Amino acid sequence: MVLPLQLSDLLQALTAPIRDVLVRFVPEQWMGSLPALTLVLFAVLALLVGRHVNPLPVSLLGVVLSAVTVVTLDASTYGSSFGGLFVRDAFSDFFIYIILIVAVLVLVSSTLYGGDKGPYDFLLLTSMAGAIWVVMATDLVGLFLAWELMSTPTYVLTALGPHRGAVDGAVKYFVMGMMASALMLFGIALVYGVTGSTELATVAQTLNTMSADPTVAPTMSPTVLLAVVLFILSFGFKTGIFPGWMWVPDTYSTADGSVTAYLAGATKKTGVSALVRILMVGLLVSQLEWTLLLVVVSIMTMVIGNVLALAQKNIMRMLAYSSIAMMGYLFIGLAAGTEFGLAAAIFHAFIHALLKTTAFILVWAMAVRLRKVITYDDLVGLSERSPLAAALLCLAVLGLLGVPVTGGFWSKLFLFQSAVEADMWWLALIGALNTVFSLGYYLRVVRSCYMAAPTRDDTVALARGPLIVSVLAMLVATVLAVVPGLVFDYALVAARAVMG
Amino acid sequence: MQLATATDILNSLPMDVLPLMLLLPLGGAVVAYALGDRGARAVTLLVSAAELVLSVVLALAFDPSIAPSDPSAGMQYVWSVTVGRIRAGGSETDLQFLVGVDGISVVMVVLSNLVVFIAVLASHHIHEAQTMYYALLQTLMTGLLGVFMALDLIAFFVFWELVLIPMFFIIGRWGEEGCQHAAVKFFIYTHLGSVVMLVGFFVLYFVAEPHTFNMVALRNMGLPPEVQVGFALAVFMGAGVKLPVWPLHNWLPWAHVKAPTPGSVILAGILLKMGGYGFIRLGLWMVPDAFARLGIVFAALAVFTCVYAALTAMAQTDLKSMVAYTSINHMSWVLLGVAVAAVGMQLGLQSAASLAVQGAVFMMFSHGTIISVMFIMAGQLKYSAGTREIPEVRGLMERAPRLSRVLVVASLAAFGLPGFSGFVAEALVLFGSVNVYIWTALIAFGVFFTVGYLLWTLNRIVFSDPDPEAEVTDATAADLIAPVLMMVPVLLLGVWPDLVLTLVAPVAQFMLGG
Repeated sequence: MVLPLQLSDLLQALTAPIRDVLVRFVPEQWMGSLPALTLVLFAVLALLVGRHVNPLPVSLLGVVLSAVTVVTLDASTYGSSFGGLFVRDAFSDFFIYIILIVAVLVLVSSTLYGGDKGPYDFLLLTSMAGAIWVVMATDLVGLFLAWELMSTPTYVLTALGPHRGAVDGAVKYFVMGMMASALMLFGIALVYGVTGSTELATVAQTLNTMSADPTVAPTMSPTVLLAVVLFILSFGFKTGIFPGWMWVPDTYSTADGSVTAYLAGATKKTGVSALVRILMVGLLVSQLEWTLLLVVVSIMTMVIGNVLALAQKNIMRMLAYSSIAMMGYLFIGLAAGTEFGLAAAIFHAFIHALLKTTAFILVWAMAVRLRKVITYDDLVGLSERSPLAAALLCLAVLGLLGVPVTGGFWSKLFLFQSAVEADMWWLALIGALNTVFSLGYYLRVVRSCYMAAPTRDDTVALARGPLIVSVLAMLVATVLAVVPGLVFDYALVAARAVMG
Repeated sequence: MQLATATDILNSLPMDVLPLMLLLPLGGAVVAYALGDRGARAVTLLVSAAELVLSVVLALAFDPSIAPSDPSAGMQYVWSVTVGRIRAGGSETDLQFLVGVDGISVVMVVLSNLVVFIAVLASHHIHEAQTMYYALLQTLMTGLLGVFMALDLIAFFVFWELVLIPMFFIIGRWGEEGCQHAAVKFFIYTHLGSVVMLVGFFVLYFVAEPHTFNMVALRNMGLPPEVQVGFALAVFMGAGVKLPVWPLHNWLPWAHVKAPTPGSVILAGILLKMGGYGFIRLGLWMVPDAFARLGIVFAALAVFTCVYAALTAMAQTDLKSMVAYTSINHMSWVLLGVAVAAVGMQLGLQSAASLAVQGAVFMMFSHGTIISVMFIMAGQLKYSAGTREIPEVRGLMERAPRLSRVLVVASLAAFGLPGFSGFVAEALVLFGSVNVYIWTALIAFGVFFTVGYLLWTLNRIVFSDPDPEAEVTDATAADLIAPVLMMVPVLLLGVWPDLVLTLVAPVAQFMLGG
């Protein structure tokens, strides 16, 4: 699979003139952060334009330009910014692409509700800029700042949902988020206290020398362990894993669907990225301890997500719980702690972003059209009432399930394989049995859409924008079923950037 | 067999025969979907007929002999495509679709194409959403053929899973009352088996040095015994659900009874054979030592399953449900054949072991053909008499003579009357097994009960006095084309078993020799 790598060369050659302009006019210290800065600029523009007209074209242009800066500015040459506080490498680029792809999907879908106003797009784009900085951060303080920049707009966005319940969901999310931030700060303080630095590379180095020193090691390790626990807890809140998953279903099901899609598709993944950087770069010294923790977290998350998803009638809530379960699978790869496991995990993040965002957008589009909360009963006969939406939704759901129709098959396969690689075949078995469990609710969607006779025969005409982006997303997901290497090769390179 | 003409035909094809056979139905599915209700059936008939011809040509051109030290284990027409590359455990591995066939695979490929062709013929009662139905049927065909051709564990798993989706839709969408529940049950049971098997695949991958998913390489490697046993248990979960073996059989009666007639035909005709084939290819062929150790357990389970299923079949009042249990009863012979072959090889009873394996494969082929006819006749009974309930149908011979004749002949074949292929299969397995474990002769009780309930059923519905109030119409010629065609191989193999056995025997010899 050399093709994708050649493709990126081609794109770079094509955009060379833009690069020359950027290199001449942009301060060197800003170069690496240009994708995020572009989004901030266009967030302000969208706010201004949005006073009078629909800001969608401006916002989309911002996302596209941001993607252009990622492509044209080679990470190895122009990656560093703000004195090395935020650095682009293969790993962060992989997540930046996830964020930007989700951004396009979400922006188009947001026209269904709220997205035609300036402030909405402003908040969304600012949060995305924050998300990009989160995946680039190499310093704990920088990470914290970026994290808050990403989170704060989403607290407002979730509260803007159409129902009264949205405020409840947002408050829950806000309180949990604040607590997570506090725990994170505490963790940072502990690490700083032990090592005297917040820069991850320095932290790793100092911890390495300290752990080799028998006089310091015994007093140091409990503190570091506490920091590890705090980090897993705090980033776990946003990521929606055990034990901080409780806000997920409430917030996801009450917020407007586009925001939900953004939370599930993008911010969740940044939590994973941040955790990977902290654990696998900064605190690699205590791998033995955090492996065990991640295994426990992974198993609990899978089981909780799957069991509770089975009990849901509201599709949004079901998808929210399935998101939780999906994070459980993803953490199998992190727990494996190998390069292959990490690659599998971020590949899964990519696929999950495509599939879950599509599913949320479709259900949300349906909810807007039918003006009600979508349950399994509303899906009955969807294959005849809206054939395209039914096909897309079922494809997404089957993909989440992991049958070989989308790249989701390979990502799950690789995750289980990575567990076996790390001599944890039982973890792979638990994960695999959990997928069997998840059949219970995923198949129910397919069954309602395709097998039950329709109770009403009026068609459900969904808005065109969300349908078009869903088709594109599912097309990519399906192509990845045939040639997983297209993305997985990049995932391997990205994983090597962190582990190597 | 090796006919020069057949080889010439294969050589004149635009691409290798195996990928052509895999891609043809996929293309056909797209065309069928594009053509809409009118053309879908015609295209599917055409594609399945072409596939059948191709597979027969392949069988005729195939040279089954294998040299004892052949490094490729007798696999021919090998073809592969790489879809990705992974770097795990310190080495790089290609994720590839590696396909190839030996004698056993060829037999299974011919069987699948035959059964699918007959199922398409018997689909003329399906009128609802035909486009999707035929598109799904052809996708299913690719999955089935892929399972029998795959030489790479990942490709095997992909095809194995690919079979599930179209079958799930066919059962759940076009089946009878309660079919959705049956479809979900079918999916969950089979998926459960396959994920356990998948973990087994990964363990094998990392134990092997160098890491590989290539089945031939894994076979030649000689894996450590404890790994072999673990893998054999994982295969038992995966293939045992499909076969099915007691206690993993519970999905089968549901799925088979609720599925539409062509769905039942494919389920019983080929899907169960995926289980049998899994036992042979992944079990006996790849980890023979483990199967020898577990052989006594598997043989005992097989004997129990056979008698248990026969007794349960006797208690059924729905003809289709009874036929479904007959399937369980017959497929247990395959497991018995595989188990005693492994043990026999260990004990040095090569010829007995070889007979048992040949019997197992022959049983799969013969059962695939006979049970297809039985399911079509059970479905036909519903159209002709309005019900499949055995107590409610009477005097069929008088009221529906054509239907009755085919049903009677099929029933005779099903319980293994000499002259039909079923008899040869049972005899071969039994000759092999009693030489290894004398107590396996108990499986003959299964035959005994089968004869009993089938004759009893015929007595009740065919040879009884007709109910004057019941409305019964005879089957039309169009209804009977498919079952009568399918009886041809049954009779042919009953008198000329070597047609299949010449392909199987060298592989059996090779498997047990080394």
